[in-house]
Amino acid sequence: MPTEKNDLHRGTLDMLILKVVAAGPLHGYAIAQRLNQISKDYFQVPQGSLYPALHRLEEREWLDAEWKVTSTGREAKFYTLTSEGRKQLDAEVLGWERLSDAVSLILRTAD
Amino acid sequence: MNKRRLTRLWKKPAAEKHLASELQFHVEQQIADYIASGLSPVEARRRANLEFGSVEGLKEECRETRWENQLDIFIRDFRFALRGLLKDRRFAIVSIFALALAIGASTAMFSVVENTLFEPFPYKDQRRLVVVHIQDLDEKDNTRSMFTMPEIEEIRKQNKVFEGTAGNQQDDIVQLGNDTNLRLDGNFVTPGSLDFLGIPALLGRSLEDADYQPAAPPVFVLRYRTWQGKFNSDPDAIGKTFTLNGVARTLVGVMPRRFAWGGADLWIPCSYEAAQTLTSGQFDKYWGFVARLKPGVSVDEASADLTLITKRLAALYPKDYPKHFDTSVESFGHAVVPQQFRNSLYLFLTAVSLLLLIGCGNVANLLLARATTRHKEFAVRAALGASRHRLIRQLLVESLLLALGGALLGVLFAWAGVRVLSTSMPDGTIASETVIEMNPTVLVFALAIGVGTIFIFGLVPALRASRCDLQDSLRDAGKGLSGTGSHARLRNSVIVLEVALSLTLLFTAGLFIRSFLALSHVPLGFGMDHVLSARIPLPPNRYKTPAQIATFYGPLLDRLKSLPGVAPAATSSSYPPYDCCPSEIEIAGKSHDEKRNATVQLSSEEYFQVLRIPFLEGRTFLADEVNDARKVAVINQTFRSRYFKNENPIGQRIHLKLMETVPDPVANAWFEVVGVVADAKNHGLENPNDAEIWFPYTVYPRPAWALLVRTVNNPAKMIETVGKEVWASDPGVAMADPQPLERVHDVNLEQPRFGLWLVTIFSTIGLMLVTIGVYSVMAYSTSRQTHEFGIRMALGASASDVLKMVLRKGLRVLLAGISIGLAVSFALSRVIVSQLWGVSAFDGLTVVAVVTLVSVVGLVACWVPARRATRTSPVSALHYE
Repeated sequence: MPTEKNDLHRGTLDMLILKVVAAGPLHGYAIAQRLNQISKDYFQVPQGSLYPALHRLEEREWLDAEWKVTSTGREAKFYTLTSEGRKQLDAEVLGWERLSDAVSLILRTAD
Repeated sequence: MNKRRLTRLWKKPAAEKHLASELQFHVEQQIADYIASGLSPVEARRRANLEFGSVEGLKEECRETRWENQLDIFIRDFRFALRGLLKDRRFAIVSIFALALAIGASTAMFSVVENTLFEPFPYKDQRRLVVVHIQDLDEKDNTRSMFTMPEIEEIRKQNKVFEGTAGNQQDDIVQLGNDTNLRLDGNFVTPGSLDFLGIPALLGRSLEDADYQPAAPPVFVLRYRTWQGKFNSDPDAIGKTFTLNGVARTLVGVMPRRFAWGGADLWIPCSYEAAQTLTSGQFDKYWGFVARLKPGVSVDEASADLTLITKRLAALYPKDYPKHFDTSVESFGHAVVPQQFRNSLYLFLTAVSLLLLIGCGNVANLLLARATTRHKEFAVRAALGASRHRLIRQLLVESLLLALGGALLGVLFAWAGVRVLSTSMPDGTIASETVIEMNPTVLVFALAIGVGTIFIFGLVPALRASRCDLQDSLRDAGKGLSGTGSHARLRNSVIVLEVALSLTLLFTAGLFIRSFLALSHVPLGFGMDHVLSARIPLPPNRYKTPAQIATFYGPLLDRLKSLPGVAPAATSSSYPPYDCCPSEIEIAGKSHDEKRNATVQLSSEEYFQVLRIPFLEGRTFLADEVNDARKVAVINQTFRSRYFKNENPIGQRIHLKLMETVPDPVANAWFEVVGVVADAKNHGLENPNDAEIWFPYTVYPRPAWALLVRTVNNPAKMIETVGKEVWASDPGVAMADPQPLERVHDVNLEQPRFGLWLVTIFSTIGLMLVTIGVYSVMAYSTSRQTHEFGIRMALGASASDVLKMVLRKGLRVLLAGISIGLAVSFALSRVIVSQLWGVSAFDGLTVVAVVTLVSVVGLVACWVPARRATRTSPVSALHYE
């Protein structure tokens, strides 16, 4: 396994997707683009796990999906955040911040 | 689950299309972006596809997130498993059957034991109910657990260990009817008895404190079965008044189905004051006595306390106690179910637990064998990309199917087993309150063990296979000469144990069969066909003296004799093959040191003719001798040869000491012998005959008599006719338990028949399981050796060589099992010898039969797979797998 690009934990990927979609309705390709744009230097979102993740989140009703026409005039599946998804995102962000605070505290003080 | 999710079930094609176009959109969008960034269209498509990876794999992953597709996968796995099992039908049927047999047999037997031994009664805190035994230390047979009223009063006052007590007194109750009388088993119960038992009435009310007061209006409660059978389940009967033994009593309630205290039909309250003077019962003086231990008091502590009390009582009532005695307290449940029967049940219980283990062992063997042959299949599927959890899930589903089949069939077997066992349980071996039904806890336990076996042994190979090194499996490592190694040894030792156990069970069954046959062919010495028998309890207030009793029987017997269809009729003190009362005897003009005993019977003159017992010497009583209550006697052959040897017994005088010590004693009880009859069974079927002596029934007033009527046709059809004559002789008297004497005899055979039956069923199940076991292990090991056989046959071994090789291996295992089984059988037969009759514990015929049966069945189980092994051609054997 190459080490320069980190694997994404499933839960983390879910959180990132929710966060990206929170900005407004997006289709799968756009989500992938956004994720890669933002995180380019740290990790690559494998295409292979994006779509199963989107379907999983839709199954859990954290995302809602709708077929709409894009700006280029093509039919695409757009995902939006549901109120359930919003709650989940808030909870996960909170949890993540706590964890990262704790981890960075340890990293700083354990030196 | 919401509606949208449900509708997805039948909108799958649309979902598939959406999924495809969603992914396609992504790829096309990517291509468009690449082209826009300056790549050639071909290169853009190549890169986009490369990055995206396998579209089909991705689709599958997306599908798996949706619940309806999960269901789909499950159904697919289910169908796959079903197909696999159908392909290997023999394996499936055999494992399901083995599992079901094990679950069914063990559940049925555990349920019977649980219901008869552990929870036999419906009564409150039944585990703390106890009875008190007085055991004569000098004479083993002299024991009692009934007490007189004054004793009960003392025990109640002095004890420190009982929370409560109840006394009951059996009595024959005659309910007067308009044209016939109804005879019922009554129980007088001491104050608070029904509350003590803690069961409320089903209809109406139970007995209350006020009912036990001496001046209370007379009432009674009925048993459910009696209410159903003799009162036509009439709910209006409650509140009505019935004349019972001359007293008008109001029926106040019907007890629930399982309430059967003392096995009676009805219960009558009785105050302690009235109990002191109640002298009507069969045992007029002694009352049944049951107590409940205080919580935390042990049986030993109670025994110690009661020993002190009974020592004091023995000083007060020396006539009621033996010289040396021991007082013990025993659990009520144990007291009701005979020790011997209890032992048999425990024996069967052990056997059945082993059956359950054997059954599970077989299933485990089968699953392991199947898994080994499928090793390569798993390796191939793993190599083709099946994920570990898919493989495991598939096997799980297969196990689930097997377990489901085995469990369903097992429950069915258990249900049928319990039904059959409960209906065939002989009377008198279990408490009347016991209802045998399937025990859910036991069923769940057996199911858990069986189903657990399937899952464990079904999954272990899957885990192993999915973790295994692909290369190794595909290279077909570890093939070749097999049947050695620790696994094979383990499997073989399981089979050895199974064979040993089965042989032991069969041997026990064989002994029981032989014993039963011997018992049912015992020459009785009397003719019991065409004889109607009944007990006639006479109301003691009107039939006190021998003369009064004679005024009832004299005319009745004459009237019966003149009936069409009746040959002679007689009365006596008990039915054969059981005698009545043992007495110490003396013979005039003879002195002897040892105690001489004979059993005493009272009868009318035609007794011997009714039972077809031939006279060897002398004659029966004359009608005048009976009428005048003369002290004459008839003795049996045993009596004659034991005490008279070569002398002529006719005219000898015999002193019956018993008759001088009973209540209302016979003065100067010397009887003159007038005749000698041939021996007839008089001490049960199993035991040698006692010396027996008969004298006229008019000499001594017994409260209850047996009526024996020889009929020309079926005696059962004469019951009503004879009943009417009894009623006509005295409308206050009724027959108890009228039935053909053959039926009475049949009851004596019921318990041995039941034991025989149980052991036969279980040994058959054992044999079946062992057949399955031997077969599965042999089939497995031969299938492992297919390759080896191929090489051998290619090198010139003939089919019969291979056959011999397999059979030899099977025979070795069988022989080991048979020898261990025989050793165990002989050890065990010493324990069960007390339950056998007329057959040695090392019966040769049984040994030969059982060894032959096990060998033949075992060899057939080896032969089938051996045959199959020889049929494979060397070429295909070498290609195999």
